[in-house]
Amino acid sequence: MIETIYIEKKIKNHPRTKSILSKFKKARFIEIDRYGEIFNKRNQNFRIQKFSPDLILAHKESGLVLPAPDGFGIGNSKNFYFSHMYNCIYDCRYCFLQGMYSSANYVIFVNFEDFDNALEKVIEENKSSKITFFSGYDCDSLALENVTGFAKHILGLFRKYPDIDLEFRTKSLQKDPFISGKFMENIILAYSLMPEAMSSALDNKTPTIAKRIDIMTTLAAKGWKIGLRFDPLIHGKNWKKLYGELFEKVFNSVPLKSIHSVSFGALRFPKQMFKNITKLYPEEKLFSGPLSNNDGIVSYDHDIEEEMISFCQDITTRYVDKSKIFKCSV
Amino acid sequence: MNENCIIDSFSIRWVVALKEEAKTIIDHYKLSVIDGKSLFPVFKNVDDTHWLILSGIGRHNAAAATSYLYSISKASKSTAWINIGIAGCGKGNYGDLCLVDKISNNYGKNRYPMTMSRSAFSKMHLFTSDIPINNYSSQELIDMEGSAFYDIASKFTSNELICLMKVISDGPENNLKDLNKDRIIDLIKSNIINIKKVISYYENLSHFDFLRNKKPYLYTQIISRWHFSVTQKYQLENLLRRIKSFFPDNNVLEIIKDCEKGASVIDILDFKIKQSEVDWSNS
Repeated sequence: MIETIYIEKKIKNHPRTKSILSKFKKARFIEIDRYGEIFNKRNQNFRIQKFSPDLILAHKESGLVLPAPDGFGIGNSKNFYFSHMYNCIYDCRYCFLQGMYSSANYVIFVNFEDFDNALEKVIEENKSSKITFFSGYDCDSLALENVTGFAKHILGLFRKYPDIDLEFRTKSLQKDPFISGKFMENIILAYSLMPEAMSSALDNKTPTIAKRIDIMTTLAAKGWKIGLRFDPLIHGKNWKKLYGELFEKVFNSVPLKSIHSVSFGALRFPKQMFKNITKLYPEEKLFSGPLSNNDGIVSYDHDIEEEMISFCQDITTRYVDKSKIFKCSV
Repeated sequence: MNENCIIDSFSIRWVVALKEEAKTIIDHYKLSVIDGKSLFPVFKNVDDTHWLILSGIGRHNAAAATSYLYSISKASKSTAWINIGIAGCGKGNYGDLCLVDKISNNYGKNRYPMTMSRSAFSKMHLFTSDIPINNYSSQELIDMEGSAFYDIASKFTSNELICLMKVISDGPENNLKDLNKDRIIDLIKSNIINIKKVISYYENLSHFDFLRNKKPYLYTQIISRWHFSVTQKYQLENLLRRIKSFFPDNNVLEIIKDCEKGASVIDILDFKIKQSEVDWSNS
C-alpha cells in the first residue's frame, strides 16, 4: 500500500498525475520541486525503505531514450532502452537496482508524450537499421501497469511502426493491454525465468514461475510473441537437474512458434554495485556462491559460467532454432 | 562514525528542548542524569539504549545538542534519532500527536523525513521558526528546533531513522500565552501510549539495522587468536558471512583450528567456500 505520494509541482495538474492520484484515495500527497529531493539521496536506507516504499510522480527532462550497452540485444543491429519508471515493486535479491539506487521509492514519469517524441526521433535517425527498443531497464515494465497505463499508451505508438521491435521485460502477470487489443508482430513480451527452487528463495514478492509460464501460454495463444529470459543463471546444488526441469516445463507449455527469442546471462555485478548489495544483504545465500572479481565485474568463475551457458544453450537448441538464442553479456 | 559502538540490540537518541517536554519520557524510560560536567543536561537508561539531551530553545541549541549527544553517547549508524516537543498548529486538535513528513524554514531547502508506516497518527508539515509565531494560518506545525535537529541527525544516520513528533499545544483556538509548565507536562504525558508506539517502531528499525551491520558471530573470537592485516580482516568478515550458508559455526572453528597464521585462515575458508554449492532446495 502506498502511503505517501510526492508530486513534482511542474506536473501536479497533468491529467496523468490526476488519474494516478485518483487510484490512491488514502495516500497523503506532498508537493516537491524535483524528484531528486526525495529519490536516491545519500543518507537513505534502501532496505528500510523497501518495507514501505513511497511513490514519486515526476517529469523526465532528458535521457528519455538511450542506446543499450553493447552485448544487450536480441538480433537487431541497433538497441535502445527507455524507462518510464525507476525501481520495482518486486524485491529480487540479484536485482542491480538495489545496488544502483540508495532509494527504494518508485518514481513514475508521467510525461509519456515526451517518450513518444524521443522514440520517434530515434526511429527517424535510424531509418536504415533494424532497431529493438527495450522497456523496463530500470524497472519491471509491466508490474505497475494498472497504475501507469504506460504499456497501453506506448503500444499505440508502435502500431505505427510495425518494423520496429519493442520488448517489455517483466515478471508480472499483467495481460490487460495485450488481451484487449489485436496482437502485434513487433512486440516481444519477455519473461524472466529461473528454476522454482531458486525463484522462491530469490524472487521476493513476484508471481511464481508456474504462474509466469501460465501467462506466457495465455498470451502466446492470443498470438503475442514471447521472449524467454534466463538471466541471471543461478548456480547451486543440482543446478543441471533444476534447469533441465525448467526447460522441459517451459518448452512443453509455450508453443514453440510463439517464441521470439531466448537469452541467457550469467549472474554478474559491477564491483561497486556488488559491494552495495552485499552491504544491504550481508548474509544472503546468493552471495555465498563461487563468485569472484574479474576486471571489475563480480561473477561466477569463468568455467562455471561457460558450463552453465553451454548446458542451457544445448538443451534449448533441441526446441528453438539457434538463430533465436542469444547470450547477454552486459 | 564511532568505531566502538556498544549497542547490542537497538539504540535511541532523544533531543528535547524543554525539561517539561522531557519529564514524561525521562520517567517512563527510567533515564537518569549522567555524572560529570556536561555542556547540556544528558540522561540515559541503565542499558545505554536510550539517551536524552535537553537542548534548550532554538535552532542553534538544537544543532549543538544533537551533535554533542552523538559525540558522547556512542551512537552508531543504526541509532534512531527522535525529536519530540510541543508545537503550534493551524489546523490540528489541541493535544494530538503528529508525525512530521516535511520540514522547512526560512533559510533553505525542504527536508522530507520518512514517517512511521501504517500508523494512525496525523502527518503534517513543520515550519521551524527563529521567533515565536502566533499567526497560524500559513503553516501546519510550527516549532523552533526541528529543521536544525534534522540537519544534524541526518549526518549520523539515514533519513528512515530520524523521527520528529509534535504534540499540538497552541493554535487559533488555544492561545500561546496560556501555556505553562504543567500544561506542557500534561500534553506529553497524555500521549505517552502513542509515543511508546512510535518509539517501539523505531526500536525495531534500529535493531533490524543493527543486526545487518553486526560482525559475524565468530569474527571477534578469530581475530583475537590470529593476526590479520586490515585487508585480511575485511576478507575474513566476508568469508565468515559466506561460509554460514554451508557450515555451522562449530564446524568453522574445526576447519581453521590447525591454521598457523591469519593468512591460512583466509585461504582455508576461501577454499571451503569454493568447494561448496548453495542448496536452493532448503531455502
